[in-house]
Amino acid sequence: MVAPEGSGPDPSALEITLSPPERQILRRLRDRPGLTEETELPSATGLPEDVLRGALQRLRAKRLVVVEEEHRDRPELTRRGAEARARSLPERRLLAALERRGGLLPTEELVSDAGLAPEERSVAIGVLRRHGFLEEGVPFRLRADAPDPRKPLPEETALEEAADSRMGADAAVRATLLRRGLLEIVRETRRRWAASPEGAALPLGEGDRPQVGALTAALLRDGSWRTAEFRPYDVRGEVPYRSGPDDHPYARFLEEFAEILVGLGFEEADGPLIETEFWNADILYMPQEHPARSVHDVFFLRGFSGRPPEGPLLARVQAAHEGVPLPGEPEAISTGWRAPYRTEVARRPVLRSQTTAVSARFLARAPRPPFRMFSLGRVYRPDALDATHHIEFFQCEGILGGEGTSLRDLLGIFQELARALGISEVRLRPSYFPFTEPSVEGYVRHPRLGWIEVFPGGLFRPEVLRPLGIGVPVAAWGIGVTRLAMVALGLSDIRDLFSHDLGRLTARGM
Amino acid sequence: MPQSTLSFARTFEGWDPPPSPGELREILFRSSKAEVVECVGDSLLVEVTPDRLDLLSEGGLRHHLEGLRDRAVGLPAWRWRPKADPSFAIEVAASVAPLRPYLGAVRLRAPEGDGLDPGLLAEAVRFQELLHATLGLDRSSASLGIYPAEGLRSPLRYEVAPLDDELRFVPLDGNRAVPVAEFLGGHPLAERYGHLGRSDVGCLVLRDADGEILSLPPILNSGDRGRARPGDRDLLLESTGRRSSRVEEILGLLELPFLARGWEAEPVRVRYPDRTEEGSERVGPRSLGLDPALVVRLSGLEIPATEMIHELERSRLGARIEGSGLRVEVPPWRPDLQSPVDLAEDLLLARGLRPEEARVPPSLTRGRRLPSVRFHRAVRTQLLGLGFVPLLSPVLVPERNVLLLGRDPIAVANPVSLEYARPRDSLLLSLLAALGDNIRYGYPQRTSELGPVVTPDPESETGARTEHRAAFLVAAEGAGFADGAAVVEYLLRRASVTGVREPAPLPGTLPGRAARVRLAGAVVAEIGEIHPEVLVRLGVPVPAVWGELHLSALEPLLRGE
Repeated sequence: MVAPEGSGPDPSALEITLSPPERQILRRLRDRPGLTEETELPSATGLPEDVLRGALQRLRAKRLVVVEEEHRDRPELTRRGAEARARSLPERRLLAALERRGGLLPTEELVSDAGLAPEERSVAIGVLRRHGFLEEGVPFRLRADAPDPRKPLPEETALEEAADSRMGADAAVRATLLRRGLLEIVRETRRRWAASPEGAALPLGEGDRPQVGALTAALLRDGSWRTAEFRPYDVRGEVPYRSGPDDHPYARFLEEFAEILVGLGFEEADGPLIETEFWNADILYMPQEHPARSVHDVFFLRGFSGRPPEGPLLARVQAAHEGVPLPGEPEAISTGWRAPYRTEVARRPVLRSQTTAVSARFLARAPRPPFRMFSLGRVYRPDALDATHHIEFFQCEGILGGEGTSLRDLLGIFQELARALGISEVRLRPSYFPFTEPSVEGYVRHPRLGWIEVFPGGLFRPEVLRPLGIGVPVAAWGIGVTRLAMVALGLSDIRDLFSHDLGRLTARGM
Repeated sequence: MPQSTLSFARTFEGWDPPPSPGELREILFRSSKAEVVECVGDSLLVEVTPDRLDLLSEGGLRHHLEGLRDRAVGLPAWRWRPKADPSFAIEVAASVAPLRPYLGAVRLRAPEGDGLDPGLLAEAVRFQELLHATLGLDRSSASLGIYPAEGLRSPLRYEVAPLDDELRFVPLDGNRAVPVAEFLGGHPLAERYGHLGRSDVGCLVLRDADGEILSLPPILNSGDRGRARPGDRDLLLESTGRRSSRVEEILGLLELPFLARGWEAEPVRVRYPDRTEEGSERVGPRSLGLDPALVVRLSGLEIPATEMIHELERSRLGARIEGSGLRVEVPPWRPDLQSPVDLAEDLLLARGLRPEEARVPPSLTRGRRLPSVRFHRAVRTQLLGLGFVPLLSPVLVPERNVLLLGRDPIAVANPVSLEYARPRDSLLLSLLAALGDNIRYGYPQRTSELGPVVTPDPESETGARTEHRAAFLVAAEGAGFADGAAVVEYLLRRASVTGVREPAPLPGTLPGRAARVRLAGAVVAEIGEIHPEVLVRLGVPVPAVWGELHLSALEPLLRGE
């Protein structure tokens, strides 16, 4: 939960201001070495007790005084206890009545003679039986061997002690009086106070010199700040909650990533999120019947259509697919896919499923070799949504082309990228992409995840380059930027990269 | 990626000792397009890239590993007859053309004293199903059939037969003849594949010279004439499909388990109404030229021709010097090898990818960001400075928010979730999604996003346009139109321009409290107070105002274009 902006204690709480009683107490404590009993302070300062207590607590909150506390329990008569003591206890009244009646009291006279309330009877009888005064059974009869009735009963002793705030020796009797609601145990705290080092060092001002809290515009304007005494602040006090916006962590990661590629001599390019199948797949020599072009791998769009590219490019790509010579050329590049090329497929709009479409658009602009290009953008693939799969994710891809560009350069770029990303180990293995030959896959060793596949790459096939009119070899590579971002940001769920949660975003980090 | 479980024992039969799982894993990882997923007991689960399905058969994987371990190099030995038996042919009727026009076939004969054993039959059927699922595109592109060929009376005929009561067959999984019409109406395989093999006039059949049905391509074989059994010594492999290249590819691949076990392949003549195919290329190797200079160019390495030949042979291809180039022989189960670059790749992969040969190319280029990045970054920083929390949202937004605002962006035809059903045409959709998700936090809330939106554009080649926008939203007690307009004006002022506000009814905003901002005639921003209905539906207890800068429209104007 994020507290609303600016909540919490007021900043002026830091300011140490002292009320006159606080000042008086602090001064008194500073004058007396060692600890001062709290009970001595009212007389020493002349302050009423409640004022004194409040001031001491405030001084303590400001850390200007320290206190030593000692706790002591003592009994105290309740209101009922005080009444019972005044009237004498019911057991004493019963005993007195028995004595008056010569040791025998009919049950019906308990109230009239002994003056016992109905709720007092059983207690009084129980106590006298326990102490050996009464015979069992009714009418009530004093025992022959009864103790001396003139001696105080243990209950009476305990009651007197409680009236005196003394604990006394007989805990069991005290416990019965507690149960009978005649007394209660009060915890008493003895406090002894002294000035803290801060309190000892605090300038208290000599009487009339005013202390200044906030430095105000008026103080600055009239120059009175020169003579003013500034009250020091409690710099350890609580301050209000503040939070502020920060760059989005994922956006920042992507920015930094792009800068690494710029440092390696790559020029950034971008392309549309909605592509025709021509740019998303055909131009990359992906056969129109390729399984990766089905509804399971590409998002199609409803209700409109694109058109094939203008100029000779369509015819050239078609020739490459069909395995016939490009217009004006004597020989076919290869056998092609040996299937008729369909323009109605080429014009279908899709959400781009790979940023290679951006590379193809870049190459179609006939860049002058040598060139290096990268693109960093969103791509879309229908997939199950879970902790490691999202249907929308970022892809980073680059190409480098020029006379003599070869597989060695591609492997070199992998190593260079890995170094720039702080990864030391790269493993390579053969792979397959319809638009590159040879195709390789680079794995990097992550300290926690082990070997992860992050660098797909290869050399563009002639069936891709020749229709585009590119006469130099072109190496293409990709980076699993989403994977790396999750590692860098310490996320285990890919969906968190797109988190909207303001609590997470403003608490810095995701 | 395609996967299959192979028998470890069958794959390495006769190897002494067989490789350890660890060795196998390592060598496949480094030098092949196959990977060991799991190896437990006799069960070897292998995954391959889609171009090397041959490695998902025991025979194919074995050949390949023999080469990589230098146990055997060059083309594996297999027997084939170059010419078709003139007395045996399959006729393709013109009637099949609209449904499934192409057919290819090969005859296979067991080695002397041997016959089809249950292991081979199981391997072949498993591989057949794998090929159906992958290259065959679930049989829609091409499919395969295996038949006993002994005593089969030629010519066979592939045609569309009318679905009358006479047309009966025994399904492979049945034991009595049923009318084909009945089979097509109720059998699970017919439900799944029936549409591929029937039309208004009838259904596809392959029958022998006696008219007996061998199969209903691409659905199911017949249980009497179309059932291959252990002990069979003479088999017919057949493939039908909508594309001739696919038919050839999967047929060549299915030969592999048999040829690897010493069976002999013989072409089968196929007679179309307008031509006859001898089919010789389906059983023997085909030949491709390879210019060594191409290998040097791709690899960046001066590899001598003799080494090239050796590596091609380790990749189980035939290779020799011919004139100034190389001549490479490719077996029928390698449909992925179509052109010289494919051969060069095979050669380089057999040689192994060697990190020590990597070369960091000297950078002769100057890297740079897109020209728009600087502008975007400036706006992002300004919004940050104003205290807006930046969001990064998916472009695909929930359908319900689209409906809530009454917008009509482009729709995905095959969404996997209504949460990601539409590519946003305004960042407001994302900002409101976030606002709705954050109602548990206090207010004020100030959020922003800079990112792409897509809008329909009939003028564009793709039918749509991707634009960059920057938007912000203030949700706070007392927030109103002026707060939004002030921020938009500030951002424009920072870009050294001033726009003109005009009233505009913007979806999801309060009528009379929304505006477009124009600059040189172009809309460069929108501002609006969010409609209370929208706020209430999202559960937001305070007013909100939103502004959106059209960066892609603004940028060329700033450059003076």
